[in-house]
Amino acid sequence: MFEIFSSLLKYIFITVIYLFIFAIIRMIYLDIHSMNKGSTLRNQNQPYLKLINRRDNLDFKVEESYVLENSMTVGRDLGNGITIADPFLSGKHAIFISQDGNHLIKDLNSTNSTFVNGEKLADMPVRLKDGDRIHIGQLDFLYVMGLEVK
Amino acid sequence: MGALFNYRKPVNMIVMVNAIGYGLLFFYKKPYDPYILLAGLSAVLLIIMGYFTIRKAKMGDEYLYLIISMLSSIGIIMLYRLDRVLGFKQIVWFGMGIALFFASFILYRRINIWKRLTYFYPALSLLLFLATMIFGRSIKGAKNWIIIGRFSIQPSEIIKVLFVFFIAAFLNLYKDKYKELVLLRFKRVEVKPLHILMGIAYLHMGFMVIQQEWGTAVLLFFVYFMLLYVFVDNSQFLLINGVLAAFGGMGGVILVNHVKVRVDTWLNPWADIAGKGYQITQSLFAIGSGGFFGAGLGLGRPDFIPEVNTDFIFSAICEEMGIFGGVAVVLFYFILVYRGFKIVLSTKEYFTKVVAFGITLIFGFQTFIIIGGVIKLIPLTGITLPFISYGGSSLSVSFIALGILQAISAGPLERKEMPDGEAK
Repeated sequence: MFEIFSSLLKYIFITVIYLFIFAIIRMIYLDIHSMNKGSTLRNQNQPYLKLINRRDNLDFKVEESYVLENSMTVGRDLGNGITIADPFLSGKHAIFISQDGNHLIKDLNSTNSTFVNGEKLADMPVRLKDGDRIHIGQLDFLYVMGLEVK
Repeated sequence: MGALFNYRKPVNMIVMVNAIGYGLLFFYKKPYDPYILLAGLSAVLLIIMGYFTIRKAKMGDEYLYLIISMLSSIGIIMLYRLDRVLGFKQIVWFGMGIALFFASFILYRRINIWKRLTYFYPALSLLLFLATMIFGRSIKGAKNWIIIGRFSIQPSEIIKVLFVFFIAAFLNLYKDKYKELVLLRFKRVEVKPLHILMGIAYLHMGFMVIQQEWGTAVLLFFVYFMLLYVFVDNSQFLLINGVLAAFGGMGGVILVNHVKVRVDTWLNPWADIAGKGYQITQSLFAIGSGGFFGAGLGLGRPDFIPEVNTDFIFSAICEEMGIFGGVAVVLFYFILVYRGFKIVLSTKEYFTKVVAFGITLIFGFQTFIIIGGVIKLIPLTGITLPFISYGGSSLSVSFIALGILQAISAGPLERKEMPDGEAK
């Protein structure tokens, strides 16, 4: 009896161990991913997003700030410019389009929509001003312009 | 509570591994022993409590703790399967280890004198050496244990960490001027800081050799050499050390019978399977008989392997959890070392950097030396597998070292507004 149990459970045992390794490596990958994005451009006076939520209330990895490069998508998929594993985000949630030094934001047909200063975005892109509040998923960001552009 | 079953939360998987492991152990032998379940439950609760403390108190890197929890879980389950008494003791040590982990975390962060105790570390090491020489007791051929009451302590474990602290403090003391500065002068011989560092480092290794702790001596050399490679910009000095070590190693092989036997059994263990090659061949048989997924917990015969609770536990893991289990263990150490490097890269202060790197190196090389030994990649030297092997000294010191690494990852306590210029 024990033999059957043990020889069946060993497969589950190993699978769980590898799932664990996968989970850790995935978290580390997200960590590096966001680190590279953040650190290379932080001091170049580019516009950036600043997180307003308290991070310890969230159970996924999210940075205090994200520098916006030219045009960037935000969402849950790894292919995005900004990847956040918030379950309330869509795979590709929204896009920031760079134009004349500041950004437009456009919702990409996300399930839970994008809000700027409390207003739900329609299909049209909206131009962002310094200090605009962007709400996506469970997160609130502040759009901050770089010093140079101001 | 729904979050408990989220597969993306690694801590759940630790709970699952433990549940499977202890569940199997409960049914392993009649009469069924409910204490196993109780012991397992307490181990799991300890892990969870530790994890949430780290998260809630913002104690820096949370992966380190997850990784070593998984390693320790596998280790404890394996030990319990091999020997119930040892397994139970190991859980007690594990609990103490976690307490020591938090204690060393707090102590390292609160007290800020570590870099000023440069010559205190080797002095303490020397004291421990002498104590071992005088009061030492031989356990399994090497005189490296001190017995106090009911406990036996292996000072060489503590000395490893002291050694790293010494090198860190020493390099920190002379970081910019080790090339020009001349400390002493005897006629035409100039004694520079690096010579003193070298002298004290080889003294440590020499003492280890006297105590017949070849594994620890090799480990100390690797740590010393890598720290020089990374933090001292002097390739000539590095070369001298490399050549010295090569001669030392060759001299050891030729002159010391014990080392010669180890190398011979490494090159051809099959020549004397029943005698000198017994350990390594049994280990290889065990690993081979495991196959991909292993025999299953409790279904192999790891009891044929000598020293299976300490040095050869990796072979037992390979036999019962398969080569996949063994590779998983190696992968855990990879991630652990990677996290260590990440912490080293993200710290700014010189002394802390060296300490973090040294501790990471201890974990990495110790794993390499013992796993390499039992799979016949390199000559076998007896040393424990960190966080898995049975042993109070080994486990406690590993947890203390991990606590220091954790403290470093959490950053300095107060000076939050560090001026940018100071770091550069």
